[in-house]
Order: sequence, then structure tokens, then C-alpha cells
Amino acid sequence: MQVDLMEFWPRILQATNETLLMVGISLLAATIIGLPLGISLVVTRSGGLLENKAFFRILNSVVNFFRSIPFIILLVAILPLTRLIVGTSIGTAAAVVPLVIFSAPYIARLVESSLLEVKSGVIEAAEAMGATPWQIIFRVYIPEALSSMVLNLTIATIGLVGASAMAGFVGGGGLGDLAIAYGYQRFETDIMIATVLLLVLIVQITQTIGNILSKRIRRQ
Amino acid sequence: MIDFQGVSKVYEHNGNDLRAVDQVDLTIQKGEIFGVIGFSGAGKSTLVRLVNLLEVPSEGRVLVNGEDLTRLPKPELRKVRKRIGMIFQHFNLLESKTVRHNVAFPLSIAGTPKKEINKRVEEILDFVGLTDKADQYPDELSGGQKQRVGIARALATSPDILLCDEATSALDPETTKSILKLLRRVRDEYGITILMITHEMNVVREVCDRIAVMESGRVIEQGSIFDLFSNPQHPTTKNFVRTVMENEIPASILEGIEKRGASRHIYRVTFVDESAGQPVLSQIAKKFAVEVNVLFGQITELQGIPFGHLVVELQGEDKEVLKAIDYIQRTVTVQEVKAHAG
Repeated sequence: MQVDLMEFWPRILQATNETLLMVGISLLAATIIGLPLGISLVVTRSGGLLENKAFFRILNSVVNFFRSIPFIILLVAILPLTRLIVGTSIGTAAAVVPLVIFSAPYIARLVESSLLEVKSGVIEAAEAMGATPWQIIFRVYIPEALSSMVLNLTIATIGLVGASAMAGFVGGGGLGDLAIAYGYQRFETDIMIATVLLLVLIVQITQTIGNILSKRIRRQ
Repeated sequence: MIDFQGVSKVYEHNGNDLRAVDQVDLTIQKGEIFGVIGFSGAGKSTLVRLVNLLEVPSEGRVLVNGEDLTRLPKPELRKVRKRIGMIFQHFNLLESKTVRHNVAFPLSIAGTPKKEINKRVEEILDFVGLTDKADQYPDELSGGQKQRVGIARALATSPDILLCDEATSALDPETTKSILKLLRRVRDEYGITILMITHEMNVVREVCDRIAVMESGRVIEQGSIFDLFSNPQHPTTKNFVRTVMENEIPASILEGIEKRGASRHIYRVTFVDESAGQPVLSQIAKKFAVEVNVLFGQITELQGIPFGHLVVELQGEDKEVLKAIDYIQRTVTVQEVKAHAG
């Protein structure tokens, strides 16, 4: 049973919306969680601004732990938690929870690596000026690393687009789900191609926006 | 102004104690430019950081304006740090901010009102000669301009002390000169006490009033720039002096002396201050039956005082030569040069 691509178009649009929604919300939530985690990883490490070896060691292990779980396993493993948070374990909203848990530690690492690019001498100079740790974080670390962080968040976003394709597993919908359900399981090659092209487009646009934004931040 | 009293900084490294700074006693007077010179790893970077407590001393005390900063609670320490400017080898400017905002930064974090900040920034940019670069970013500037921004930033909060951590080591000789000139103006016009560390002897020669030589965490020699240059005691100090002033007689000349035999009269004549202005050599040539042959020499200026030495050969009768030497010894220092001793 062949599907007419033109007739199927609204379904594709809806799936695109679902993907963008899942990625957008997850990105926002994961950044809200990942940013402070990334900052903590930098400032509490040995020799850091607010050195706290025990805290760093624990945080570091926790981040590593979550980073090591494949998304598809995380997706099902935390179903009870998902149900607790969003009230359901199926649907687009239900996919957001594992996506956040998956990408927040990833973003923490990306933020960490961006912040570590800030030259230690610049931090030292700020300390010598009598800046408080908070001033150093918000007025030195973040502005100095922002351009690099935007590029790294772009990487995270693209990773999220990929992970969101697996959301079909919990009825999350989205382009990936569509590609599997129609393109793969029902041999609708047209739909497969259309969805993949759309995913490619989303990734291209995301990367372009990220590049432009990063460049603009460097040269405000 | 800055008083190091038996200060040591010990790091533990693989279970071993590493004494980066070892029992240092130094006093830096108000308004002077004090240089600490040493090869890399001598501990001078650590030493300068002990002043604003970027490094905490393990032993002894560092007094700044008579105050032991280790006793201060953190907020008080931050206040004191605003009175101690610091510049760095690699400038350490905020790359995401314009020159203007870099200079404004220490004022801004101190909560200075906007209006006041703008006024001060204009003033200080004018002082360092970067008014026209105010809206450029650090990566659009040359090294010398970046260091000027660094100096402007360090001066923004009107400190009493300026710490310079290898401030000219990343700059070419021409730029180094202009930065040193600027530092001297900082001292002369604002009366700021400057403590600079460097491994470049020509830097301390150019601007310092007094210097200390560091090796393996210890201060091995200190004194006025003139004393250390004209009469270095420690081998390391001698090495440093040699980097800017050729004290040794070149091998080719030594060879020539040896060839001509030990019977020749070769002397090193050292001129200091007024004696450098006196025509002693031509005087002895006239007064005694000796000919003066200059083999080698160098005259330079230290702290505005002429200083130098000449290696001369006196040709003539032994008696006449001794008389001549006796005569010029009243105004200059004379040492006999043995061919082998150099």
C-alpha cells in the first residue's frame, strides 16, 4: 500500500514539529541543568576557583555514569521516573525527560571544556583585581567562553536531533519515528527519503545558526 | 612598602618538598622600582604572587604597607588587592571585551559608578596613549599595545603598588623599551611602587633602582643596580651582568696577548661616574714615557651614571709603566690582566 507523499505531507509537518518541540524543550531544560553542572566541574576541580575535591569527584562520577548509558536503554530504564515527572510514559512529553537526562551531562561536559579554554592567566588577573568568585564566573568565565559554548551547544543540539529519533520507542513521535514506522517497517521509501532530508536540513540550519551566533558573540 | 620577612613557599611534589621560595628577606621602598632577576624556575614568579596572595606563604610574612595580608578575611583581602595592580607576560586581557571595557573591568567589579568609570578610563587610556584604540578588541592590537592595555587596567583602580610578572618578556626589544619608559612614567607621575620580575638583565638595567638576584628560591645578592653591575659577587649575578656587558676579554685578543708574551703590561681600567669623563689615558701618555694601546673596552650608562672599562696595553719601560699606573689609580680602578687569567 503506497502512500501519496503529497497527501502524507501534513503528517510529515506534524512530525517535524514534534521533533523541533522535543529538541527545543530538551535543549532548554538540559542547558539549564548542564550549565551549572559544567561550571561546577570547572570551579571545584583541584586548583579551581572554589576547589572542593570531594564535590568534584562525586559530580564527575555522576556525569560519567549518565554519559555511559546508551540513550535507547536510558529511555526505557527511566520510564517510572518519566511517569512521575510528566504523568505519562508515552508521547512527546514523555520523550523529553530521557532526552534531558541524556543530554544534560553531555552539555555539562561541553560547558566544562569551553570554560577550560579560558586561559588560567585571565582568571588569575581577575583574582588579582579583587574579583569575587561569582564575578569571575559570570563576568569572566562565561563571557570569555560564550562563543565556544554556543558552538558546543550546537553540537549538543544536533546530538539531540539524533537521539530524538529514538523517541518513537515511547510514542514520542517526530521525524525519526516516522522514518521507522513508515519508511522502514512499511517500506515507504519516499517517506524515508523525505524525513531523512528534513533531518539533514534541520542539522544544516542548526549548525549554520550556531556558527553565525558564535562568530557574532566573539565580535559583539 | 613591601616587606618580605623570612618568606618561604613550599610545594609538595610527589611526597618531596619543593621550596619555590626559600627564606627570602627583602624590603621594597615606597616609590622605587625594584627588580627581581633570575633564570626560569628561580622562584621569582611565586615570589611576586606572594605579595597579593595569589600564592600564600608557607613560612614567614609578607607585609604590604605594614599589613600582613594573610590575616585579612577574604572581602578585606579583595579590597587590598584593588590597591595592588598586576601586569603579566601574556597580558591576560579579556578577549571578549574592547580595550575600554578591559580597562573599566576592575572599576566595574568594584562597583564604581558608571560616570566615574568613563572618566577614569578616558584619563588612563590617554596616559598610556591608547585613546584611539578604545573600541578595538585585544586581538586587533600588537603585543606592546596589549601590554599598554594591561598597564591601563592595572592602574585603573589607582593602586599604590604595581607588580610586573615578566611584563616585557613577550615583546621585541623596541617595544620593551617603550613599555619600560611607560613604567617609569607610572612611577614618576603617580608615585607607584613597582616590583618587577624578569630574566632580562637589560630590563632591570633600564628602569630598576635596586635589584635582587634569585636562584633556587633564594635571594643570592641584592643592591643598587650600580653596585650589582659594577661589582657582582655571585657567579649567577656575574652571568647576568655578562648578558648585557661583555666583561670578559674576547678570546682573539687574549690569544694576541699570549703570543706577544707575558712581558707585556696589560691592564683593565674601570671607569665609574666622573672618572669616565677624565682623559686619564692621554694624561699618562703625556706625563710618562708610555704608549697606550687600547685592546678592548665598553662604556655604558647605568642609572644615568657612566660606567665602563677598557683593557689597555701600556708600552714602555717597566719603571715608567708602574709610575703611570700609580698615577691613574688615583682616579680609576686598575687591575693587571694576566694572559691566562683573562
